[in-house]
Amino acid sequence: MIRVGGKEHPWREGLTVAELLAELGRAEDTPVVRVNDTFVSRPRFGATRIPDGAEVFLIPMIAGG
Amino acid sequence: MSAPRLEPRLSFPYRRPAVERGYTRQTLHVDLSRPAVAVKPVPPEMERIFIGGKGFDLWLLWQAVTPQTRWDDPENEICIACGPLGGTPSYPGSGKSIAATISPLTGTVIDSNVGGYFGPFLKFAGFDALEVQGLSAEEVVIVVDGIEEQVTLYGAEGLPEDAYALTAYLTERFAKGRPRDVSVVSTGPAARHTRFGCLNFSWYDPKRKRARYKQAGRGGIGTVLAHKRVRALVARTDSSVTIDTNAPADRERLKQVSRLHSREIVELDPKQNEMSVIGTTHLVTIMNDHDLLPTHNFRFGSHREAENLGQAVFRRLFDPGFDGCWMGCTVACSHGVRDFVPLTGPYRGTPVFVDGPEYETIAGLGSLLGIFDPHTVIEMNFYCDAYGLDTISVGTATAFAMECFELGLIGREATGGLELRFGNRAAALELIHQMARGEGFGRIVGEGVRRMKALFAERWGADPRLLADIGMEAKGLEFSEYMTKESLAQQGGYGLALKGPQHDEAWLIFLDMVHNFMPTFEQKAEALHWFPMFRTWFSLCGLCKLPWNDIVPEDNRDTPEPAKVMKHVRWYAEYFSAVTGRESTPEDLIRMSEAVYNFQRIFNLRMGFGRREHDTLPYRAVGPVTDLEYESRAERYDRQLAEIHPGRDIASLATAEKRALLRAHREAQYVRLQDAVYRRRGWTPEGIPTLATVRRLGIDFPEVVALLAAHGVRE
Repeated sequence: MIRVGGKEHPWREGLTVAELLAELGRAEDTPVVRVNDTFVSRPRFGATRIPDGAEVFLIPMIAGG
Repeated sequence: MSAPRLEPRLSFPYRRPAVERGYTRQTLHVDLSRPAVAVKPVPPEMERIFIGGKGFDLWLLWQAVTPQTRWDDPENEICIACGPLGGTPSYPGSGKSIAATISPLTGTVIDSNVGGYFGPFLKFAGFDALEVQGLSAEEVVIVVDGIEEQVTLYGAEGLPEDAYALTAYLTERFAKGRPRDVSVVSTGPAARHTRFGCLNFSWYDPKRKRARYKQAGRGGIGTVLAHKRVRALVARTDSSVTIDTNAPADRERLKQVSRLHSREIVELDPKQNEMSVIGTTHLVTIMNDHDLLPTHNFRFGSHREAENLGQAVFRRLFDPGFDGCWMGCTVACSHGVRDFVPLTGPYRGTPVFVDGPEYETIAGLGSLLGIFDPHTVIEMNFYCDAYGLDTISVGTATAFAMECFELGLIGREATGGLELRFGNRAAALELIHQMARGEGFGRIVGEGVRRMKALFAERWGADPRLLADIGMEAKGLEFSEYMTKESLAQQGGYGLALKGPQHDEAWLIFLDMVHNFMPTFEQKAEALHWFPMFRTWFSLCGLCKLPWNDIVPEDNRDTPEPAKVMKHVRWYAEYFSAVTGRESTPEDLIRMSEAVYNFQRIFNLRMGFGRREHDTLPYRAVGPVTDLEYESRAERYDRQLAEIHPGRDIASLATAEKRALLRAHREAQYVRLQDAVYRRRGWTPEGIPTLATVRRLGIDFPEVVALLAAHGVRE
């Protein structure tokens, strides 16, 4: 099990950020996520695996500068 | 050096007026040449049109200077103002000061929005704005004491040279046992020898028992302060600030909207960027992943070692604790590094507390120079602040010099023997020390990119066209630290910014490139109208923009205009109405900004700038200058060329030919963008506000109308 924005979400071995966002229907509007203390950006979504028990947050990234 | 001495030269008693609805309705003028001190009333029209903060600065400065005024003339002023909402401790991000002057870099108006307590303390001491004019015959310190109700000009001798030690001394000297009552504005020794001296604004951190600092970095305001021989400005007031100190028109309304925004940040920041823990350092790896982190003088947008400068590192290095640069701010992003031990310079081997770094400093003093060692970045950050240097201009100017060295445009005879290659940490640090000592090649780098370009061409025969392409300045100001090659909207965000390429007017990279919110020219132009206007509004009111759109509501993506975060914009309208009693809608906030924004454009025109020709960019901000850059992203550029020229065999072209094709296209796109933005802003094709625009905004003062007429803008 992982938590996404504070809510529980089922985990499976090898689950990537890209797959998680697809399951959530949030692939289009999410450029950055935070997995525990690590920020992951869209170019690395497919290659980033989420560990069991992770806290995941979807970062809107409207701003920055 | 002799012991520090402060001798009163002039004392000016005054009656501190009650703050009403966010205003004291008077400003303070200090003439260093005579010397003399005076208080000026704020007429209702000034308040209605210019609102406060940057608006007040611009109006006061407009009256002080002439079209012939240079940055080092006596009539040039440093203006510092807060704003009607500034000093509210209940609403996050409400303690900003806005400083303005005629810039040593650009020759026209520069403004800088900065944290620390000075602006609010100046207001609570009795003044909505401060003007410092003239040139002093000796080094001085100006103290505005709202508790004693007295302005004092001190002759100063033997004060500490660097800003950290100077502020610590003055805080203790004037605290009378309550250091939190004091805020100091100062610069350092490098401000005397460079054009990009910064101002350090302090606040006292009671937990760490030390003064902390934020910087008004851009445009060389510190250089102007040093030239005036002002060592420091000190504001003192009772720091027991509450929601009532601004005497808001509707206390309950203010309390409610403050609570809404504060609570939202407390709830959502831990789920989003964690700015209260890591500041803006998260941007480093995010920018790197999107090919937007400038490296090697903006040649490239990513580097394999960028993670060394990312938030994971600074999460460990930052000293935990509350780091708000104004009271009660729940964003609290002004972090620092405790017990850092520099390896070089006068503090070598001595543990110091370093305020920062933020993203801009990390990128400017790190990746831009090919330096990926966080400790070197922290040391450069420390010395830039202590010496009074803008980290952005230092980084961008040094990167330009490094590339010129690597390309062989200048050699060791120019650099005084420094092997000024990308990644040379020792050389980068040495340049900063040279700037402080006013010697060596550091002094040349301290002239800024625009003047280095002219010098390198004249003295060492460097190709001026190549220098123009890779020298990252516009309007004379060094670029801040974002790659713009793939974002036309952000090229406009930099090229069309009034003061030069600083991201505080419009940061549209993600909205444009990643979210694709503005695919058409008209949408980009609309964004380049609305965003600079709303962001200007923060500087009119004494606010930080981070609470607006760096932490956003969870349902923001489902709103009609997610980029604008309209829920928060409506809260800001509520906030303004509650404090000032001037009932305002979000559209009203934009109109307030439009008046000041257009006035600043006209101010530029008055100073000999402010036309289309001044809104141009170095080509490196637009596309690849060299084969090396093109080939590093050849797939991307080849694909774009194939789309632009369908049917043409792109693969058969040499890289130089492909670069030329791409350049012609991209430069034409930028011109089209200028056209669209000028139309949207109500400007002529030359980029000058029309008479209809200035009338609509109520800034059709006789001198404005005459100036427009002199530039061919009539009925």
